[in-house]
Amino acid sequence: MELAGLLANLGLGFSVAVSLQNLLWCLAGAVIGTCIGVLPGIGPVATMALLLPVTYLLPAEGALIMLAGIYYGAQYGGSTTAILVNLPGESSSVVTTLDGYQMARQGRAGPALAIAALGSFFAGCVATIAIALAAPPLTRLAQQFTPPDYFSLMTLGLVFAIVLARGSVLKAFGMVFLGMLLGLIGTDVNTGNLRYTFGISDLFDGIGFVPLAMGVFGIAEIIANLTNSERAELASSKVSGLMPTREDMRRSIAPILRGTVLGGLLGILPGGGAILASFSAYTLEKKFSRTPEKFGTGMIEGVAAPESANNAAAQTSFIPMLTLGIPSNAVMAMMIGGMMIHGIVPGPQVMEQRPGLFWGMIVSMWFGNLMLIVLNLPLIGIWVRLLLVPYRLLAIAILFFCCIGVYSLNNSANEVLMIAVFGLFGYLLMKLDFEPAPLLLGFLLGPMMEVYMRRTMLLSRGDPWVFLQRPLSLCFLLLAALLLVFVVLPNVRKARQAAFQE
Amino acid sequence: MRRREFLALAGAALAAPFAGKASAQVQNWPDKPVKLILPYAPGGGTDLIGRPWAEKLSHSLGQQFIIENRGGAGGMIGTEAAAKAAPDGYTFLLTPNATLSVLPSLRKTPYDPKSFLPVGRVGDFVTGFSMHPAVGPKTFKEMIEYAKVNPGKLSYGSAGLGTATHLRIEMLKYRAGIDILHVPYRGSADALNDHLPNTVQMMNEINTIPHVKAGKLLLLNINNAARHPDFPDVPTLTECGYANSDVPIWYSLFAPAGTAKAIVAKLNAKIIEIANSEEMRDRMRSINTVVPTQTPEEMVAYLEEDTARNVELIKATNMKLE
Repeated sequence: MELAGLLANLGLGFSVAVSLQNLLWCLAGAVIGTCIGVLPGIGPVATMALLLPVTYLLPAEGALIMLAGIYYGAQYGGSTTAILVNLPGESSSVVTTLDGYQMARQGRAGPALAIAALGSFFAGCVATIAIALAAPPLTRLAQQFTPPDYFSLMTLGLVFAIVLARGSVLKAFGMVFLGMLLGLIGTDVNTGNLRYTFGISDLFDGIGFVPLAMGVFGIAEIIANLTNSERAELASSKVSGLMPTREDMRRSIAPILRGTVLGGLLGILPGGGAILASFSAYTLEKKFSRTPEKFGTGMIEGVAAPESANNAAAQTSFIPMLTLGIPSNAVMAMMIGGMMIHGIVPGPQVMEQRPGLFWGMIVSMWFGNLMLIVLNLPLIGIWVRLLLVPYRLLAIAILFFCCIGVYSLNNSANEVLMIAVFGLFGYLLMKLDFEPAPLLLGFLLGPMMEVYMRRTMLLSRGDPWVFLQRPLSLCFLLLAALLLVFVVLPNVRKARQAAFQE
Repeated sequence: MRRREFLALAGAALAAPFAGKASAQVQNWPDKPVKLILPYAPGGGTDLIGRPWAEKLSHSLGQQFIIENRGGAGGMIGTEAAAKAAPDGYTFLLTPNATLSVLPSLRKTPYDPKSFLPVGRVGDFVTGFSMHPAVGPKTFKEMIEYAKVNPGKLSYGSAGLGTATHLRIEMLKYRAGIDILHVPYRGSADALNDHLPNTVQMMNEINTIPHVKAGKLLLLNINNAARHPDFPDVPTLTECGYANSDVPIWYSLFAPAGTAKAIVAKLNAKIIEIANSEEMRDRMRSINTVVPTQTPEEMVAYLEEDTARNVELIKATNMKLE
């Protein structure tokens, strides 16, 4: 009965999605998404905002299919710059830079890009089925999360960030805490106090993620490459093999599977869905690997897992939006805006009142993923050839697109200045051998942790024991404590350092 | 900035001798695209109301009305930008009342609310206090009784400190003499996420309406002068016995002070014409919004009244930001 119902629903979805017009909108979304994913800084939020008025002219189905395509298309494209030039186009492709860029520097950009696309395709297909099968029960699961559970999950995430780092634990700690401090800049949600803003109104909402990530990753890398001609040559000229070898494929299968499952689950949670997913998938792979010390030096697993995870998460983040009308991130807020423009109020009633729209959108995601893989695999040759462009010219183009991308976020020139400042800061970190990835994770998770902690304390009327009374929260905290013990224990640490020196 | 001010002054000085030409420009207004500054990020409530208006105004005045989202600092950055724009009839501010009748009483703002001329009302959100059904109270009266018997037991999620939805619960607490815990969130979506599983028991936001329709939440009252067309049985605050206790959320178009009166009048007439059209009424109704029409003069008085009520509340409850 259930199955028959599902098949009937999917059949209805197919009949909507397969119409020539809707296939075209799906393709348009996928192409636009890939382009903005490749261009650093220009994210899906700004693009969807620009396209919202246009969508009013389309039928509701076509409009939403296109907007959805932009989002998951951007996940495909976002890994491209992360791998080729160490610039995470999206917050969720930050970890892809760790091993992806190293692969590119070894001349293996082709296989890295191909695995990223294949992993994304697989994850996208599985997540689409997950939405169709399990949207309502999964949403109920996500609703079990209360503020103390979120706080404990974030704590676990931060401990992951320290485990994730290569080299000195102390330096990783430092970076996480510095990231948290940077994240605290702005207006305090609970009291309205302004923190570290020096009266500059552009800082009242805090520092943006994009200027920070672009600065410490991308701009710093450009400075480093330009100050060292040998390094620049290495980054650009050496290219060998476009497609992954059989060995690459064999090593990637398990990470793709694990990344898909983890990403699919974390994507349903509001807040840091896709970013938590990619970071967690990377850490998980490191735990599973027989050679964890090689992560960060160009391991294909380090590209396959997070890229699958972020695409799965991007897809499953539609679940709370479609079934509850709750946006789990800014992109979903734009989708809700798109639905409202067509007079559709997102919420539990959409599935019953507009089944054609609901199921059509889900089935179109599968078509979209298929189009993206067909589109992206042949493009790899072109992207890799981009690396043959002399670096001094490529660097200017990258800087140019970075500036446009950052400006387009809030129409604010001050944010463009910010990438310059963070670029210099990132270069300094690089010279001193500090890793920027834990900094970014601290920056993202720290303020969320604070908000959840204070909300928990408000709701419990000041009783801190709730963190241990909630089973979910207790589990996360115990896991975090366990991980921390492993990292901090002297003999474990010695073994770890020895491992890294190999 | 200084350079821009200088240019604006220089422009004004040059324009003065050509007053005749200026009136001709007013006659032909608009003869180039018009910018609408929205002081919030895309995707939020202001965007939701602003986009259909930009489209309709472009259509009926024959020039593109282009939306520029200048989010940040609770709306202060965009509002400041609009205050400093040249009053030439080609830049307007589309904002909820929060930036003009609430924020200046709570913190130092980089603009003066008096540096704007009201142009037209573009929509009021119609919603009310919602309650999670697991709590018990089914009506507004029962909620008040419950809160009196169990002081501090109910909690209420708002979209953030100093937002109109925060002021709404403070106003109710102040007028009814009850104690409800206020929990601020970053935006109403976050709050709804905790309201649905009963982590917070109450809210007052338009995003609760679909869930009321689906039977997941109860709507206790309507914070508006008239009832909500989709909920004819739910009483207004005044009908519940709490007159002058509403903190309305109303969106309007404002022009930088100094914009020609004739342009303001022309735009006001167009806005009223569009607001009265069947199509716009339906579109606004689908987002739980009604559009009351007012002349610029009526709006000045309405803004003053709104500000005075908020100031009274802020003083009485000793509310402060900073």
